[in-house]
Amino acid sequence: MKPAKEIRVGNIIMVDEKPFIVLRSDVNGSSRTGFTYKWKMKNLLTNAPLENVFRGDDKFDVVVLDKKPVTYSYFADPLYVFMDEEYNQFEIEEENLGDALHYLKDGMACEAVFYDGKAISVELPTTIARQVVYSEPAVKGNTSGNVLKEAKIENAIEAHQHIVMVPLFVSQDDTIEIDTRTNEYKRVVRN
Amino acid sequence: MSASPLTLAIFCKVVDNYGDIGICWRLARQLQREHGVAVTLWVDDLASFRRICPAVDTDKAGQVVENVAVRHWRGQDDDYAPGDIADIVIEFFACDIPPRYIEAMTQRMPRPVWLNLEGLTAEDWVEGCHRLPSMHPRLKLTKHFFFPGFTAQTGGLLREAGLEEERQRFLGQPGQARDFLRGLGLPDAEIDALKVSLFCYPHAPVAALFAAWQHGSEKLTCLVPEGVAAEAVAAFLGAPAGAGAVATRGALTVRVLPFVPQPDYDRLLWACDLNFVRGEDSWVRAQWAGKPFVWHIYPQDENLHHKKLKAFLNRYAADIASLQDVMLHWNGALATAADWPALWSALQADRDRIEARSSEWQARMLANGDLASNLLVFAASLR
Repeated sequence: MKPAKEIRVGNIIMVDEKPFIVLRSDVNGSSRTGFTYKWKMKNLLTNAPLENVFRGDDKFDVVVLDKKPVTYSYFADPLYVFMDEEYNQFEIEEENLGDALHYLKDGMACEAVFYDGKAISVELPTTIARQVVYSEPAVKGNTSGNVLKEAKIENAIEAHQHIVMVPLFVSQDDTIEIDTRTNEYKRVVRN
Repeated sequence: MSASPLTLAIFCKVVDNYGDIGICWRLARQLQREHGVAVTLWVDDLASFRRICPAVDTDKAGQVVENVAVRHWRGQDDDYAPGDIADIVIEFFACDIPPRYIEAMTQRMPRPVWLNLEGLTAEDWVEGCHRLPSMHPRLKLTKHFFFPGFTAQTGGLLREAGLEEERQRFLGQPGQARDFLRGLGLPDAEIDALKVSLFCYPHAPVAALFAAWQHGSEKLTCLVPEGVAAEAVAAFLGAPAGAGAVATRGALTVRVLPFVPQPDYDRLLWACDLNFVRGEDSWVRAQWAGKPFVWHIYPQDENLHHKKLKAFLNRYAADIASLQDVMLHWNGALATAADWPALWSALQADRDRIEARSSEWQARMLANGDLASNLLVFAASLR
């Protein structure tokens, strides 16, 4: 058991017998009884996000989850199938994949996260590279400040095609790096 | 046959002698009187409670005072059954409710609304945490945080429905304030002077303030409840600071008052020209009194209370430097040495502006509704 004041972003805690990942923690002071911890959390079983507030002394079970390298294989409606190095297949529900759906690509490497023996989610690398499949050409003269435009990136599932805001100099067929924590453009990959 | 009244339990652990129970008692009475709620007030320190409510019998485990059931909260080990659990359970200032009370909450159907009523602060973060859930790590119970505050995005301030009318009546009838002060033992000369009530924690720079007043040009009567700033008061008096003790030195008369019940403390605030208040309860009452006030905030480790003080000053007196300076120095929140004669002189020069601010502030706070009503509306949304 750990008190709230010792729990960090990324820790997985049990609340009401369900695993939650702490996505963000805002610590607010000056309450006479100590600090107040406002957490953005996600239920790892349902992917449902929620905000909760706790006292620093509230105690939680912290869980260490198993992870295993896998690759994305195929979509078997309504489940997404991943495979490990021994060709074992793991099916994961769409709602548990969250933002990972934007980046799924055949053969893509990621880590499956297991809770109670069941694959419940995947973790992506912090940075991934994807090709821009469509983006309007930059309009001449429209170059001041941090002007951005939309870019569609390649992925496996058309319904989850993702739009990333990119600088004007990014062109169709460029490969860009994206931060999967923020879903934001990082840079163009030049060969 | 009438429906059973809504039941509500408040758990109050007394840390700051009169503030905790002061707030809980006001809230309990208001919920009972104005909203017909059957309130049980669990309090761990009946002696402190008795100082502000003399009807309380400190020897009784259970009693009814002004239609509120008062229970002595003796410890964490008592047993409770689901039938003991109220519809709404309030832990005040995040106090730890007895574990077996919480267990009984899980067995009660429907489950009670469980609120943590937090302390008052003007800091912005409160708006983002007000009314947020706090799921119990192991039990099927969700508590919600409820913050009083100064904006519409918070729970507002404690205020009884008839408070302003009563204050207007008191101030509108010539002689009421005078009679009230006479009842506290003040002769006319003290009543005719500038009147200041003084309630503060022991570390306040009272002696330096007394010196400034003593050597000032205006006659000033300082009224101090017995036991408050006892050392500085006794030093000024040259005698023990018991109730009724009085001394005049230079322009300053210091008079020690008996500790008065809550309604009389309101009258004292209304009757004085300036009020020094402390903690939360008297601070809020000073705001409703509509008179200039100086707040002594409950001290916290690493001077976290200074942040809280500055947040309030930013909302209340951002444009009145004299009032800011006095409050900051009174709380030791400035590194520079305090020149109390100069601070006092600047404060006096701004007296009209500060009085006007008191009235404007009241109007702004009234627009946020009152804490008890806001709390019940929120609880109803959860039931």
